[in-house]
Amino acid sequence: MNIAQQIADGISVSGILLLIALGLGITFGVMKVINMAHGELIMIGAYTSYVISTLADLPFIVAMAAAFVVTAIVGALMEVLIIRRLYGRPLETLLATFGISIILQQLVRIIFGPAGKSVSNPFNGALNIGSVYIPYLRLFIVGFAIMLVLITAYVLFRTKFGMLVRTVSQNRSMSDCLGINTPRIDMLTFAFGAGLTGIAGAVLAPLKNVAPTMGMDYLIDSFMTVVLGGVGSLLGTSLGSIVMGEANQLLTVFGGETGAKIIVFLLVIIVIRYKPEGLFKIERR
Amino acid sequence: MKKWLGKVIAVGLACTVLLAGCGQSSGSESGGSEGDGIKIGVLFSDSGVTAMGEKGLKNATLMAIEEINADGGVKGQQLIPVYEDYASDPSMAATKAKKLLLQDNVTAIVGGYTSASRQAMLPIIEQNDGVLVYPMSYEGEEYSKNIMYVGPVPNQGLEQFIPWLTENKGKKFFLIGSDYVFPVQVNKQVKELLKLNGGEVVGEDYVPMGQSEFASIVNKIKEAQPDVIFSVLVAESAAAFYKQYDNYGLSPDTMPIASVVTNETDLSAMGGEVGEGHISALPYFQTVDTPENKEFVTNYHAKYGEGPIDTLMQSAYYSTYLLADALEKAEDINDAGQLIGAFAGLEIMAPEGEVTVDPENNHVKLNFRIGVANKDAQFDIIEESEAPAPEPWSKLLFPDHEEPWKK
Repeated sequence: MNIAQQIADGISVSGILLLIALGLGITFGVMKVINMAHGELIMIGAYTSYVISTLADLPFIVAMAAAFVVTAIVGALMEVLIIRRLYGRPLETLLATFGISIILQQLVRIIFGPAGKSVSNPFNGALNIGSVYIPYLRLFIVGFAIMLVLITAYVLFRTKFGMLVRTVSQNRSMSDCLGINTPRIDMLTFAFGAGLTGIAGAVLAPLKNVAPTMGMDYLIDSFMTVVLGGVGSLLGTSLGSIVMGEANQLLTVFGGETGAKIIVFLLVIIVIRYKPEGLFKIERR
Repeated sequence: MKKWLGKVIAVGLACTVLLAGCGQSSGSESGGSEGDGIKIGVLFSDSGVTAMGEKGLKNATLMAIEEINADGGVKGQQLIPVYEDYASDPSMAATKAKKLLLQDNVTAIVGGYTSASRQAMLPIIEQNDGVLVYPMSYEGEEYSKNIMYVGPVPNQGLEQFIPWLTENKGKKFFLIGSDYVFPVQVNKQVKELLKLNGGEVVGEDYVPMGQSEFASIVNKIKEAQPDVIFSVLVAESAAAFYKQYDNYGLSPDTMPIASVVTNETDLSAMGGEVGEGHISALPYFQTVDTPENKEFVTNYHAKYGEGPIDTLMQSAYYSTYLLADALEKAEDINDAGQLIGAFAGLEIMAPEGEVTVDPENNHVKLNFRIGVANKDAQFDIIEESEAPAPEPWSKLLFPDHEEPWKK
């Protein structure tokens, strides 16, 4: 078995996990909303990419931008219409967003039909280093994921908006008292997280499949990555995705596909048992 | 806050009543003219995981019923379709089948998709002595005196395909599939056939349903250097695998993916350039050149819009015609034994060509074709012949199995 190739593929899988978990790192990590419709936001991003790059034949970068805008709008609507009314009630939020996920799936199925759609690969070819072979598309995904993390970190820690987001997530009532328009910040934060998720869908569309039910496959992986890395920590989400991606990829050598999944799930359970705050949570106070 | 909650509940209730009303009205519309028609249950899914495939089967079935009615119906009576959606949930399929049989008093049901859905319906159909026409290809090893199995069982696709592959493409096979009963059963027969044809298995792997990450498998394939990748990946995994195979620079010229499931719907989901050059063996391709097929494709596109047509949809279509013929032939159509008996030996010109019902085992003799995918997400047919007789229990795997229909 070509271990170097497995490690390289592990990095690309980590990039994919990071991409799909980043938006959740905001909506779940920062805002503490258990969003069961997270996978459907990925799906909406993928369908936007299908409409823009396959149907309208526009460049891929336009599709990515459009995916951000469309899913951010969907996210904002979700927040204003439903999630806002359920803050502090995680169980109801879980049920409501699960409902939204079914609605979104069926909506897309009605509009585009139940069959899968194709988005062609914007980066043909591959990088060849010795016996290691990395398709440009996967390379791009890794680079793009890292770039998105940096942008997100900048927004959260270096801008006024980011400061407000952190303030509101730490103490909503105190922020209210200080005159911060918390509903507006909540809406924008959720829209931002949703938009990031949408971009992930757009970028993954040429690599994976585009179908109404595709979101379900990403939901569990995203939550596991965020929880493993440490809820609320951007660095944790990044490192969590590397651990998950590499572990999964290397374990397939011994356990096969199904076996690797089982072992990774077991590892996550053990980690959560002994380190419930996640692997990389930095305690501040 | 309370007031607001009340409103939501009120609106919710109103919606439920409205929706229920809709369901009711569409139900009574189809069952309105009682007494002067033969009711046929149509049972597929509009939502849930398998809706992707089932939608086309539903369309094709309803279209066939309409055509039969326009042609004067059966025994001078119109066929009345009663549609139920089981939302991709096997236990719901059983409930709906019961409803169709007991409440709507349908003469027969056309429907079911996954083996799980069929197996959930089986006891209900048998207890209530109904008739189920099941249009899917499935793994075999089942017989019920109340079910007509109209799709192919594995031996019908594999017996000719594997020798063709070993002769034309090479002897080293890598087997992959989705992790459930159908792919595992198919690959069991593939392995037996490879032994007979001097082939060898250089790798075998199964992925969980819905998986779309194939970096590791592609890696293993590269290591193993097979001549043929034999794939029984279904639904969404198929498109993702073909795409990533292409990403990693593998080429169908040296290492084609051969499949007995990948059809036109899958090709359009992965895109023409990705699928080009890969091989499928199925009873039917949209490009089949018969007058019956031209008519079927034209009518389907006129009714439901342009889109890929695949072997499963075609199967649902002629299943309905077979049912109509059996209804015509049976003396007492409400007697399940007589109706199933009437199927035996029926011959029909389907879009795929001639199809005959095996007189013994409630399965069907079909056609066999090998197609190579082209840029337009269609298949160029390169081999055509009559498929072997159906063996629900493959003679290769179970040479001494007692055949339940002989009891």
